[in-house]
Amino acid sequence: MAAKQNLSEPSDSDSSSLTDQSVSGRSGNRSLRVAEKERRKNEAEDPFVLALKYFSDVGAGTPVYGNDEFETNLVLVERVAYSKGLSPEAISVMLEFAMSLRMGTGPCVRVLKCLIPATIVPQEPIVRAVVWLGVGKIPISTQVLFIKWVLTVFDMIDAKDQLRAIYGFIFSFVTEENLVLRVFRVRKLLELQSKLGRQPFLLHLLSLYKVFCPELVTLSIPSRMKSGFRNYNTPWKSALIAVQKRNGSQLASSTSLPFTIKDKTSSRKRKHCHLELPVLSSLVNKQPQTELSSSRKVVPLVQLNSFAQLLENIHRIELPAQMGSLLGSSLALQYLDCVQDESALLRLNFWLGYALHEEFLFYGDGGAYQNSEEALQFLDKLLFTQHFLQEAFSSSEAFLYKFLSVWDGSLLRPQILGLLSNIPVVPSSQIGRLLFEPLMQLFFTSSLFFKCGLMECLNNMLLKWLTWHSVYALEDDLDISLNSHTSINMTLSGFKDSVMELVHFVGRLASVGLQLEGCHTLLLSFVLDFYETVCDTFLKYGLPLVVMPPPGVFYPALFSLDPVSVDRLAYIMYRYKVNLTSAKSQEKVTEQAFHISRQTFREFNHYLVVMVNCLWNSNMFRPGMGVQLGEEVLLKSNVPQYWTSFDLVHHPAFMSYAVDFHQRCWPGRKDMDLNSIKHSKPWSWYLEYLYSQGYDGDFMDTHLTSPDGPSLLFAFTAHEEQWGI
Amino acid sequence: MDDSAKRLLQRFMRRIPTQMLKTTLEKWSRLTVAQQKSLDFTQSKWALTEALLDICEENKWTTKHISELEMIYVIDNPNQGMWHAFQLMDPEDDAHSVELTQFKEQFKSHLSELIRHVSVKIKKHTDEAVWIRIAWGDSYSRPNHLKPTYVVHYLQTPYVFVTSLTSKQKPLLSQALVLSTRHHAIKDANLSGKKFTAIRDLLMRQYQQAFPTKYPSPLKEKNQTVSNPLIEREQAGPAANRLQMACEAFGDGMLPQLQSAVYKLETKFRDQTNKTMTEREESFRCVVKFASTNLLESLRDCASSGIASTPVTPLLSSIPLKGRNYFVITDNSPGPSSQMHQKTDG
Amino acid sequence: MSLLKPFSKLPGLNTANILLVESEEQFQQSLADALVEETAVTVNVRLAKSLPLPMENEESRPRIDLVVFIINLTSELSFQSAEASLKYLDPGYFLGKVCFMVTNARKASAPTERLDAVRKLAASLHCPLLFAEDQTPDGVANATERLLTILKVSAGLVPMATALYLSNLTRCTVPPDIDQPSFD
Repeated sequence: MAAKQNLSEPSDSDSSSLTDQSVSGRSGNRSLRVAEKERRKNEAEDPFVLALKYFSDVGAGTPVYGNDEFETNLVLVERVAYSKGLSPEAISVMLEFAMSLRMGTGPCVRVLKCLIPATIVPQEPIVRAVVWLGVGKIPISTQVLFIKWVLTVFDMIDAKDQLRAIYGFIFSFVTEENLVLRVFRVRKLLELQSKLGRQPFLLHLLSLYKVFCPELVTLSIPSRMKSGFRNYNTPWKSALIAVQKRNGSQLASSTSLPFTIKDKTSSRKRKHCHLELPVLSSLVNKQPQTELSSSRKVVPLVQLNSFAQLLENIHRIELPAQMGSLLGSSLALQYLDCVQDESALLRLNFWLGYALHEEFLFYGDGGAYQNSEEALQFLDKLLFTQHFLQEAFSSSEAFLYKFLSVWDGSLLRPQILGLLSNIPVVPSSQIGRLLFEPLMQLFFTSSLFFKCGLMECLNNMLLKWLTWHSVYALEDDLDISLNSHTSINMTLSGFKDSVMELVHFVGRLASVGLQLEGCHTLLLSFVLDFYETVCDTFLKYGLPLVVMPPPGVFYPALFSLDPVSVDRLAYIMYRYKVNLTSAKSQEKVTEQAFHISRQTFREFNHYLVVMVNCLWNSNMFRPGMGVQLGEEVLLKSNVPQYWTSFDLVHHPAFMSYAVDFHQRCWPGRKDMDLNSIKHSKPWSWYLEYLYSQGYDGDFMDTHLTSPDGPSLLFAFTAHEEQWGI
Repeated sequence: MDDSAKRLLQRFMRRIPTQMLKTTLEKWSRLTVAQQKSLDFTQSKWALTEALLDICEENKWTTKHISELEMIYVIDNPNQGMWHAFQLMDPEDDAHSVELTQFKEQFKSHLSELIRHVSVKIKKHTDEAVWIRIAWGDSYSRPNHLKPTYVVHYLQTPYVFVTSLTSKQKPLLSQALVLSTRHHAIKDANLSGKKFTAIRDLLMRQYQQAFPTKYPSPLKEKNQTVSNPLIEREQAGPAANRLQMACEAFGDGMLPQLQSAVYKLETKFRDQTNKTMTEREESFRCVVKFASTNLLESLRDCASSGIASTPVTPLLSSIPLKGRNYFVITDNSPGPSSQMHQKTDG
Repeated sequence: MSLLKPFSKLPGLNTANILLVESEEQFQQSLADALVEETAVTVNVRLAKSLPLPMENEESRPRIDLVVFIINLTSELSFQSAEASLKYLDPGYFLGKVCFMVTNARKASAPTERLDAVRKLAASLHCPLLFAEDQTPDGVANATERLLTILKVSAGLVPMATALYLSNLTRCTVPPDIDQPSFD
């Protein structure tokens, strides 16, 4: 209220003084006044219509001061406006009256303030009003008022085709030096620039201007809301809400608008909060007759209810004024995905980037914590959208990099990790600075739970990268377009580098993490999940890249107390073998220009030797193995037959099975001799028994099928020799 | 209903927030139940004003009634406008026995002796405060009700609080007050602020104060309510000390919401590196203004948290101690050893 | 000038001692309350507004295993106070027994320059820089948990890990677009 009064202080006092005069001119004639009121009440004809008639007919230069007829009519219009809102015709009459300045600027301001639409705002009078602006007798403050009014009711304007045509003019007004808007926007931009610094926000805005100039108005509404500007609109807003509430029921039934008024008001109330997704509402609510005549028919997204309708109208769809509303609607997203409209994505990206930055990185004093529930919902919706589109928005990616550098590791963790796992492939030159450094610090200083969460997130990230690769590599052998919309192309070797960096990074996290957490089984399980993805990169995703796990992962898994981990490690090693074999043979057949390094084969063979020696051959701690200890140290330990201590019978993870098996096999025996399991007959029974306990996967089928396991190993090394490695 | 009454009502309506209108009208208790019911408070203010005007006309109410309405609103919402505090000096022997009816009569008669056109309305508020509304005119014009002066005086105390008083009206009011309260003089208390309640509480010491003591104060115990043997404050002693001193200087508990303090410096410029300025004969003038939503609480917090040094400088502690927020600081005597000295501004 | 030394006293059995330095003395209290809830080890918390610590507590003070400087990014004073306190620490502390904890980093009123300055400071001292949300219970709990993770390592309670090892993995690095500070 204060702002409103402030804005029009001179005219306000004008009008009040004029009423004083008009009334004082007839002071004492109270009875006359009352009588007149009563007379009007009894009048058969609707006084409101008469009032409108008065405003459409009143001649230019009619005096305002002492004009009683004008006063009563205006009061009547105001009363209707504040209680029920004005019909489209009334708005056009009143706007025309105001902007033509037929009775000077005083009434103009007063009329503008009470222009509260009941349903929609017709386009015609706005265009005319803009023309009146051009005539140029209207004071700047009134011009500002008018433009603000247009912004406020922008979503309610019935059609905008003609309006678009004159956007240029509107903009010339908007950008006029004296108008607040310009000053404000420049300030906002500067502020953004100083804060975001290296962000290409300014560029974004400029490109937006270029691509989709008209919509700039709507796009910048939220930014204006933020600092003070909002206050100017509130009188209208609150009046609008009040009117819509009162009209709510009848409006919903009388118009075919697909949105419910109730939703709309609630979203309007909290517009300053970016987290509230704007309700998908249309710009176009054409009257039937104009629809027939217009040659280029546009269909707003809201009016579509099914995919079939979407397909029918796909060539003439109009995007909503507020791009944020797209996030909530799967139909809209489908449209967005298939039209590949650069400008639409650009707009959505801009809105999103702005909202994310404002709400999560630069929140004002106080506030920020009351809306954590909304923040959650917002991010969940964003995640839903990204899953739906199966790709991330570049703005959310940029936001994440910034957010990670100031993240405490707990705030909105599931959502942030979810978003993180969606980010597109990061070039290997950037990946360290953008991702690894903040993540590494968070990983090592956070709890086990966080460590597991991050492992899972990185596994998902890798899975998505590989999936993209497998999809796009089909189209083009070497160059893959990672993101259909951002046209970032990456060469295969670049992609491989990024994946390799990621896998090595996780390897590092996993080794040290396992060490710090005492090889915690839960963490180990998440690490093995990751390597289950890594070991199959070639066969499942067609990426000619094999990276072996580091010793820090291999040995903890091999010597784990948990049989499941050992089993999974064996499975992973088996998949490595299958991938390597197939890569090798394919290399020979197609002579493609990919090459798996000898080092990888050597590492694999080494791990396999260790594994087979340790589990099958009871050859632990023998020279040439990965784990070596001095003879005298081992003797000192007083462990009998220490070289058998990690075979399938004595391995701490399997010991309980061995004991159980022993008891079942020889129920009568008093002294337990686990070594007797190793005789060939009980051994095969023991393996059967392990199968039956669930350790039945490829673990047994492959290199561990016979008690003399090395045969397979040798077979493999023989291959290697054959390949000339 | 005359023009000025109408304007007064319109002005009043513009000032009052719509949500307060209903209760204020009820307190006014001039409207009949039917009239009260006929008012639709969801209407625009403009429409409401019209409706009220109609009612006033019907009842033939005048400025007198409207100003009553205004007064009710101001008494209920005293924290607006700029309030200045004054202090009555040299009471006569019977000063403490002045009671309301006597004061009322005396004040009205003294004031109307001094100026012909003046309209005075006196109302006693529940908390012993006497509220006076004065509409001033001059020898040729009738009292202007649009710019009334409000005066609040607590009987039997030397304190007077005034808002919107011009320098022309000041001597008139001073004289009337001095005479009717049986004092000899009145002086500016150098305390002003937007919150009437705050400056009243500060000047009349209506807030919790802490006094210096040699013995371990209860404050210390208060701080160690949650003492875990595993947690130890390394600097607990100095911190408690700072808090004690801060509370001694500014008071304990809730403090009056003073919003600003102004220091006018008229001292010599001292900086050995800047000879031109240091050697100037005339003093260097500048104004330092502290502003906050609750200045005293901010200052206390500054001192207790160590941002401001303790013991609190007399410059700051003088605000609650002397009950003023306007100071002029001058050099006592020229030379490097001169002390800061506060002098009352006449 | 009395330096706080990392190895001047013997460690206690299954005990870790942490010193929280914060000029505003706000966040440290809630952190301390949460830290002492730890049951696996006995955690002693010492709170200070700034360094040096008073001499008279010298005797009673246990060996400090980790010094945490809490910096409120919206306050220049908070940063300056932490910076000034650093020189009262024995250089031995900077081998993994110091970390910085920053609050209010996401606030609009925290200037980027100050964050950069804190980053530079932490990077030049090879210390980790943690961010914390001090306004929410979850944030406090999480900050406590992270401090405990570091504290346990620096108090020698985690096998196979030392303070220097961990801080080498977690220490703050300065992004290349911030000017490298000169080491002299």
